[in-house]
Amino acid sequence: MDEISDIVVSDEEEEITADVVLKTLQTAWQNERLAPEILPHNNDMVECMLGQIQHMERNINKLPKTDLRASIHKMELSRIKFIICNYLRTRLNKIEKYCIHIMNDEKQRIETGTNYLTLAEFKYTQEYIANMEGHLKKVVLDKMPGNMKSLEMNKMAVYPNLLTHIFLKANTSINGVVLEDLVADQDEEIDLEEGSQHILQYKPIADLVKNGKVQLV
Amino acid sequence: MFAEKVIELLKEAERNQDTIDPFNDEKIRQILEEMQTLFKMNMNDANATSENKSLWTTVQVRHSALERNKRCLLAYLYSRMEKIKTLRWEFGSVLPPDVRELLSDDEYEWFSKYSTNLASYMRSLGQDIGYSGIDLTENLRPPKALYMEVVCAADYGKLELSDGDVVMLRKNSRHFLPAAECQTLVRQGVLKQIL
Amino acid sequence: MDPYEIEFIGENRISSIIPNFTYDKIYLICGEFGPFRAGLPLNVPLWLAIMLKQKQKCRIVPPEWMDIDVLQNIKEEEKRSRFFTKMPNEHYMVEAKLILGVAAEDVPNAAEIKTIIKDIWDIRMSKLRTSMDALMKSGGSYGRLDHLTMMEINSVKPLLPSAMDELYKIKMMTKRAPTAANLNNSTFSQSGSSQNT
Repeated sequence: MDEISDIVVSDEEEEITADVVLKTLQTAWQNERLAPEILPHNNDMVECMLGQIQHMERNINKLPKTDLRASIHKMELSRIKFIICNYLRTRLNKIEKYCIHIMNDEKQRIETGTNYLTLAEFKYTQEYIANMEGHLKKVVLDKMPGNMKSLEMNKMAVYPNLLTHIFLKANTSINGVVLEDLVADQDEEIDLEEGSQHILQYKPIADLVKNGKVQLV
Repeated sequence: MFAEKVIELLKEAERNQDTIDPFNDEKIRQILEEMQTLFKMNMNDANATSENKSLWTTVQVRHSALERNKRCLLAYLYSRMEKIKTLRWEFGSVLPPDVRELLSDDEYEWFSKYSTNLASYMRSLGQDIGYSGIDLTENLRPPKALYMEVVCAADYGKLELSDGDVVMLRKNSRHFLPAAECQTLVRQGVLKQIL
Repeated sequence: MDPYEIEFIGENRISSIIPNFTYDKIYLICGEFGPFRAGLPLNVPLWLAIMLKQKQKCRIVPPEWMDIDVLQNIKEEEKRSRFFTKMPNEHYMVEAKLILGVAAEDVPNAAEIKTIIKDIWDIRMSKLRTSMDALMKSGGSYGRLDHLTMMEINSVKPLLPSAMDELYKIKMMTKRAPTAANLNNSTFSQSGSSQNT
């Protein structure tokens, strides 16, 4: 039981320890929960953690059921599973809600190799849209007269509100974040000191969330 | 008045936000009929607008009514799909008969497709590393304790736990069960947590 | 996020316990802890401390700040300052709630400590209400909120962000209003298509 190595090898030769993977996942979960739009996936981290869980579960089964260590490990695993489930579920909720918009954007991102969805999520979105389209057509659209039959998917698209206000904490110092003031047609520049916290619109800092320079709180 | 029925339909769906009403196919049929009538009238009058300009406005109004009916019908179906989705997360892939009968056959088919799509997504999780997938409908709340005390609200029958133990869930019986494994039954109202 | 989730995040903090059992090091995914020696203090994550306490396997060593004098100073400072002062840590409220909840007997003067922490929370919450008010009156598009803890930030959600969102929408609408008025008489001329079929 105690021989579990906490060294995880990623596809590069750099080695990441399991606790770093866990922290990364926790941050990804928190950001995903608080960002209005879907964020780039973290599939490597999720799979890596699932591997750890599997390994740990096998080991726990070797311990007697009443062993204190077994219940400690089980508790930790159920905490990690909660993070993973909640993280993936949050992504699915966004995918379903903004499916048309996400699909349109994702097709362009795939061309440049900067996809946000995992392959499984992409398939899920495609299938979800196809099912929705099929249902709407079958139940009402096909029974409508003439050109009323047509379904303009883009008209049905729901978009995330990127201008919503969010709370963030700066992980490093960032100078010159431009806050567009569309009302006064005058932009304002602010600096985010390391560790400082702010409330502002999501859009100007979206990239900083994606590259890890800030953390949503 | 044009597009009146469709508003009744939407109001009906609005009224019970948390529950799902039986699918109202009779009203939908009437609305589709209204659309056919409006459309035919427009077809006839549109050809005459070149001689009679006053018809133009009438055609426009009917067209708006058609658009409105279409938009509202789609909204009705969409909002029901949203509700049907939550059923999948609450009850799993098999719906209790009393819930099942609130859906039309087409909706049930949509539910099954949604359910299958979700299941194959969940199965794919971790597949590359030989993991058997994750059930995302579990672990809904942050874990507080490994075990919880529950009382049975209904005769459920046997429940097999992941460690191989089998417990018999009879009405009013009390159990001390792994929290992760009875969450679904708690959500479905079979078990109640004793606090 | 709901308060349970904030609590969940706070439970990752490291706290000190004195176990009443002896065990080798335990290798968790979040790190190694132990060895456990009966009677000797060691650090573990808060969730583990709570779990062991519930199983009567340890005493919890209260964090340094959970002390009447320290807290009294924090309270005075919080009252004096116009701004939010820095709290002992990012999750003081979670720590207090959990430790005082399951291990009150391990904390000297637990009852008084509970009261002071509650006072500090109340002072900060009333300050938060005042600053939200000021933020909205100043136009409500940007604010700096140093030293607010996650639980405190969470307590003004979704009210503050949505109030700011609404204010923004209203501002944009007033800005657009003059142009919108010009379109009034032309709405009817937008073309439909059923008349062409």
